Amino acid sequence: MADEKRSEQEQGRDDAGAPGRGAAARRVWGAMGSAARGVVSRVRWLVYAPRGRRLLAGGVVVGLMAGGVAARPFCAIEPGEVGVRVNRLTGSVSELPEGWSLLVPHVHRLSRYSLRDQTYRPERSTRATGPAPFQSMEGLSIGIEVNIRYVLDAGKIRALSARLPEDVGRDIVEPAIDGVLRRHFAQHSVREIFSTHRVQIQKDLAAELAPLLAEDGVRLRSVTLGNVDLPAQYRAGMESLLAEELNTERMRYTLELKDKQVKQSALEAQADKVRRETAAEAAGSEEIIAAKAKAEAMRHILPFKEKEIEQRRLEAEATKVSRLTLATADADAHRIQAAGEADARRKIAESEAYRLEVTGKASSEQLARDAALISRNPLLIQKTLADKLSDKIQVIIAPPQSGGFIAGNLLGPTPPPAPSSAPSSEEE
Amino acid sequence: MLATLVAIALVVQDPTPLRAAPQDSSTRQATLWQGEWLEVRGEKQGFLQVYDHRRERPGYVRASHVRVYALDEASVPRLQAVMEFVKETPGAEALGIGHAAALLRAAKASQVGPDFFDALGTMAERLARRATSNRSQDTALAAHLDVAALYGVKLVSFEREGRTRVCYDGEAFRRVLALGGSPQARLQAALALTRAECIDPALGPVELHALHLWRRSVLAQVDAGALPPFLANRLHLRRAEVEATLAYQFVRRGEPALGAEASTRSVEALARVSRVELAEEDRVAYALAAVRVGASRAASEAVGPAPTAGARLSAVPGAPGETCLRLDEAGEGAPRGVERCTYGLPWLASERRSAQGAVVTVAVQMLEGWTELWVFQREGDAWRLDTLAPATVEPSLGYVELAGFSPDGSRLLVAREVLIDGRVKSSFQVLKRDTLTVERSAERPEDSGTFHRWSSADWRGRTVSLR
Repeated sequence: MADEKRSEQEQGRDDAGAPGRGAAARRVWGAMGSAARGVVSRVRWLVYAPRGRRLLAGGVVVGLMAGGVAARPFCAIEPGEVGVRVNRLTGSVSELPEGWSLLVPHVHRLSRYSLRDQTYRPERSTRATGPAPFQSMEGLSIGIEVNIRYVLDAGKIRALSARLPEDVGRDIVEPAIDGVLRRHFAQHSVREIFSTHRVQIQKDLAAELAPLLAEDGVRLRSVTLGNVDLPAQYRAGMESLLAEELNTERMRYTLELKDKQVKQSALEAQADKVRRETAAEAAGSEEIIAAKAKAEAMRHILPFKEKEIEQRRLEAEATKVSRLTLATADADAHRIQAAGEADARRKIAESEAYRLEVTGKASSEQLARDAALISRNPLLIQKTLADKLSDKIQVIIAPPQSGGFIAGNLLGPTPPPAPSSAPSSEEE
Repeated sequence: MLATLVAIALVVQDPTPLRAAPQDSSTRQATLWQGEWLEVRGEKQGFLQVYDHRRERPGYVRASHVRVYALDEASVPRLQAVMEFVKETPGAEALGIGHAAALLRAAKASQVGPDFFDALGTMAERLARRATSNRSQDTALAAHLDVAALYGVKLVSFEREGRTRVCYDGEAFRRVLALGGSPQARLQAALALTRAECIDPALGPVELHALHLWRRSVLAQVDAGALPPFLANRLHLRRAEVEATLAYQFVRRGEPALGAEASTRSVEALARVSRVELAEEDRVAYALAAVRVGASRAASEAVGPAPTAGARLSAVPGAPGETCLRLDEAGEGAPRGVERCTYGLPWLASERRSAQGAVVTVAVQMLEGWTELWVFQREGDAWRLDTLAPATVEPSLGYVELAGFSPDGSRLLVAREVLIDGRVKSSFQVLKRDTLTVERSAERPEDSGTFHRWSSADWRGRTVSLR
């Protein structure tokens, strides 16, 4: 073989040195032939050589073992799953619990079903511009985020396993739901889907889907409608419309609120009024009660006051009587006294008259005697006058006047005065 | 305006002429009075050139008739000294108030404390008393009142007993209580704020009740323990008066528990008064407080058990605010009962009966300070009811209470205390049972041997007339 290789290499070098297509074809052909010969020689070695046979037997055993492992005759059922094993030979169906179970290749077929809640979201229909948007009643394409939660009925899996597909969600749930969704959305306008009837649509979908899926052993948990994707222009219009409506609604609520506030204020005012009226009434009542109590106290005093007044009247009358008696006695005493005094005065007057009469006579006689004496003794005139006149007369000694004596006219013509001075002046 | 000035002149002499020129012979523009302030604008020939902002008139005043102060902290000691000096000087209230206003402007906030407000309140209070007194020779009073009003000292007037009473509204005293101050200052503030004679007579029962509650809270802010005994007496007397009034009002409003508590407090407050330390000027107040306490003292007594035999006295509600007292006797041939309704408050706890059972008495409080004695007497086949008033005067302040019976039941012993012409008159009397006429009367129990001998220990233990 080493010779052959060497010759081939040499030949190759020769050929390489000789240009042309023929040379290349010849080199390829030669290589193929040499490979075929190599293979035949290897097979012959494996069959006929003892070492080759041992090697072949070992390879067969290893191959068989690898095939067994690759066929996986055991399967593991995870928690939250249920396995359904179908025997292809007998057609019997057995439900496999959690854990390891035998699975004979080409005899048993295993189907796994999840018992956990599963969610289906039709992703292709979430955008209005998506591949499969929903259609509204107006014929507009809208995208709606629908979220449907379901679970396989563990009790029905064994019975339905024969006709349940491997992927329940894709083969049963999705088509059923998709049809129902499209039909329902087509019965509603965009506005209803977008705002007003959303809750009602959810209820209707759940009501229709639940029995439909129950037939295939699927229990519907919930249907939720999420974001609604509208065509851009329509969305703008719709939003403005909704904003208007919202404003209107807000205004309505504001007005209602105001109305309620007005009512509340009115009620509070009414309550306050009633409270104030009650307080005023109570205050008024208290004032009235206090006034009545005072009047009553006064009423209780009045009889005593009247008794006191009566007592004072009686005392006054008694005083009056005693005073009258005293006054009468006084008057009588005064009368008696006055009569006594009058009698006394009369007696005094009579005695005075008598005294005047007697003294007058005596004075006349005295004057007569004095006149005679003066006429006989003129030098005693001043002294005599001073004696006769009252104490109001001031006696001064003055020189004799040329006209004579001041009382000369009283005495009549007198003889020429003697050369001597005499007191003769008077002044009141 | 005062706040914007730098220097002011305060008039210190009554009356000071505001001249048109700096000469004593020039025209008199206005007459100024103590405490008035003027803006200083210059000085000429011994006269200050001033501007009177109140009258909006410039002029000249003698420099000796005013005191000039710069409205800054340097003037504070001078202003304080003057204010302290005139605080207790009668007749210089307007001057003091003017200095107080200037001090308030010149001093820092930290320098204005309770002492300042105490002085201001004292002067305002004295000015109000001056305005109320009968002194007709006080020619400057009207002007001083105007000066006080100019500085914002508010004096209110009431028509009481046929004459006007002027009272200070007490703003400065409220500040004293809020800021603290010495115990004496707090006491003076509390007494000034709770003066009974300064209560508006036009107030109704509801407002009066609120006012008396406020008076109680004001008096509670004064610590009697920190006061000298003679001043503590004044606090106790005022508390006794307020609590006695509240006792009646609480029961009147349907809160007997509070009324009993207030009555107990009033008796306690009166008991705290030290007779030895009682100042001469407080004797009238002591007598008045005692009469007021005596009038509502029965509110604190508990109603005893009903008698097992004899006449039974019961009270039932009548018309709103009215209570009907009924005395009846059970049994065959029992005398007819008697019933009378009253707008007063019958104190059933004060029910007393003679040993023979022929006389039943009960106290009935008609007004806050007026308590009567109702006497039920058995006469033949019926009961009769008579009322005994404290005195035959217009009901204001007084009470009459049973002090006992004679052993044969033919005489009643009563104690009467009543306010007549500003004086409390006490009399301890022996009355004939059938006619309720006074047989013997004495001003002190020991002056009447009969009264002294027959008065009951029960009465001696609970009365406030033996003080």
